[in-house]
Amino acid sequence: MRIKILTIAFLLAAAMPAMAQEKDKAPAGSAENGHTVYMKYMCYTCHGTVGQGADRGTGPKLAPNPVSFASFQAQLRTPRQDMPPYRKEFVSDQEVADLYAYLASIKPSPAAKELPLPNF
Amino acid sequence: MANGFDRRSFLKGAALTAAAIGTQLVQAAPARAEGGAEDGKGAAPKDKAVKRPGSDFMVDVIKATGIEYIASNPGSSFRSLHESIVNYGGNKKPEFLTCMHEESSVAMCHGYAKAAGKPMGMLAHGTVGLQHATMAVYNAWCDRVPVMMFAGNFLDADKRRPGVEWYHCVQDPAAIHRDFTKWDDQPVSLQHFAESVLRAYKIATLPPMGPVLITADGDLAEEPIHNEKNLKIPKLTMSIPSQGDSGAVAEAAKLLLAAEHPVILADRASRSAEGMTRLIELAEALNVPVVDLGGRMNFPTTHYLNRTDDKRALVQEADVVLMLEVADPWGQFNSISDPHHEYRRLAKPDVKIIHISVSESLTKSNYQDMQRFMPVDLAIFGDAQATLPALTERVKSGMSSNQRVAIGDRVKKLQTDYRRMKERARAAAAVGWDVTPISTARLSTHLWNVVKNEEKWCMAVSGMQWNKNLWPAKEYYNFIGGSGGSGVGYGAPAAVGAALANRDKGIFTMTIQTDGDLMYGPGVLWTAAHHKIPILIVMHNNRAYHQEVMHLQKMAGLHNRAMDRAAIGTTIENPNIDYAKLASSLGLVSEGPITDPAKVEPAIQRAYAAVKRGEPALVDVVTQGR
Repeated sequence: MRIKILTIAFLLAAAMPAMAQEKDKAPAGSAENGHTVYMKYMCYTCHGTVGQGADRGTGPKLAPNPVSFASFQAQLRTPRQDMPPYRKEFVSDQEVADLYAYLASIKPSPAAKELPLPNF
Repeated sequence: MANGFDRRSFLKGAALTAAAIGTQLVQAAPARAEGGAEDGKGAAPKDKAVKRPGSDFMVDVIKATGIEYIASNPGSSFRSLHESIVNYGGNKKPEFLTCMHEESSVAMCHGYAKAAGKPMGMLAHGTVGLQHATMAVYNAWCDRVPVMMFAGNFLDADKRRPGVEWYHCVQDPAAIHRDFTKWDDQPVSLQHFAESVLRAYKIATLPPMGPVLITADGDLAEEPIHNEKNLKIPKLTMSIPSQGDSGAVAEAAKLLLAAEHPVILADRASRSAEGMTRLIELAEALNVPVVDLGGRMNFPTTHYLNRTDDKRALVQEADVVLMLEVADPWGQFNSISDPHHEYRRLAKPDVKIIHISVSESLTKSNYQDMQRFMPVDLAIFGDAQATLPALTERVKSGMSSNQRVAIGDRVKKLQTDYRRMKERARAAAAVGWDVTPISTARLSTHLWNVVKNEEKWCMAVSGMQWNKNLWPAKEYYNFIGGSGGSGVGYGAPAAVGAALANRDKGIFTMTIQTDGDLMYGPGVLWTAAHHKIPILIVMHNNRAYHQEVMHLQKMAGLHNRAMDRAAIGTTIENPNIDYAKLASSLGLVSEGPITDPAKVEPAIQRAYAAVKRGEPALVDVVTQGR
């Protein structure tokens, strides 16, 4: 099992530069409108209002540092697992770009060690 | 008859008269009931006082069980028993607790039993009270928690007052509850009542535990005791929970010792602090990771073998899984996606599964709380807590030297994996730290920082995983588990019930209360204030039936429709409910709504100070969905 995980991790690491390039290729979008779309379609119910993810695994973290635009778009249009699809007739390609721009604009939170989190 | 007016004798006489004069009974009965005035001479009425009612004896019986509290919304069907509790019994052991809904009464019993380790009672008013109580009874049933329910009723139709009393009476009071109670009876004599109450107590508290219902007949309660010298309250001897078969236990030990990647899944395993101690001993003997599924507090969150948050990976890798009183065995190894119902097996096909449980003895036909059938390799019928010492002994005595070395070698990796799991939880909690509405991780953190110096604390009810991932919980009383049936309306009354038990033990009680759940029965806040039950209530106010928002989004996606209307019928906005005002009106110290993350901890600190003075207090925090 560990070998499998390590193999996947290696492949992901190897793909990182390509993914970063792909991320750079994300179409231009408006973060401001992306926030509006994010709230309108209630993405926050599963992912939180700043894409932080939710307790009990309801929805994974989306930001900061979102996945590549291609992966993001693919998950949005034809999702894996339990997420409902956000199809073109309801969320345009431009709105998807705006959504991505919003997620990419979200700044990282302070590191855990800088916060008063319980530590035992 | 010694008390002047004996309704039984009177009715017997009336019946004979009816036989003699037929329809004239209708006119004759009121004349007799006037007490000697029928001769027209204006004789003084006889003393009608019932100086030793049957309900006094009922109180003696209830006292014999050791029940300390009876939660109830008052009702005429048990008025005599109510009066006897208050006056004859001195309103002590049991003390009558005023509730505003029978669902609250039962849920209080539920939370109390889990915190106190013994049941308390509730009194339901006939048909209406029993119907109100049902949802909470079902939760207690699903959660295998004992509740001593009593119901008022007038079985004898000849004695009922016309009108409302008929609506509130029933031929078979327990019928509506029978699918989700362990036992019930409707005693027709006081001796019958005594024996049935003691039997009910024994049945309710023997694993698998559950609610029981005894009808306290109104006539039996109101009429005088006859031949009291013949009444006896039997000795109450509790049954010992059963231990699993010794041969099967030895086989389980062998499987666990031979495993390379064993896992323990513990759910409703620990009935007391002793259960947790026993599980730690077994886990340490084998160096096996434990996943606490949360039905009870089974394992300290500070222990390096507690790997609850790594459950999925551990089950996927496991070659042997030991389940201890797991409510949903199938769901630990399989999943079905939603909404497409795609099946997925999580565990290896050849994983060996052992289950120690007594739940099969409490399976009924109608309600489906038994969960999906799960084939296992070794099913041991026995109480988990009672069986653990024998299993640990078998593990220790059967361990070869090679196995001892291999098991010892696991420690370093297990400790490393535990630290990683905790670091991962803290990193996840940090994301969205400054967001508004307030993140649930931040809420959990601030609450902990306020109460962390408490020597004894209990987080009574919270569906929030952060508390278990972030808080150092070392004691059995720190968490009491969930609702069982996931019936909304459980949270607040169960937490107040737990706080009641903990008040007597000197344990500080708090709860993270969801908004939709509270609105099912906010009256329990008044009960907490009225009876001076100290509890710190922090609202997880996401202004929605949040899970239902997600379900509506899923359905819109499934039906190829837009998802921007999922708030209709699922959110609790416009107007926003002011929970601080609500709580204040019910007698609590309160503050909120808090929307600024920086103001959460100071507000909780002020509420905490009130609770330390013995008062219930509520802080309304507007939060993220989850």
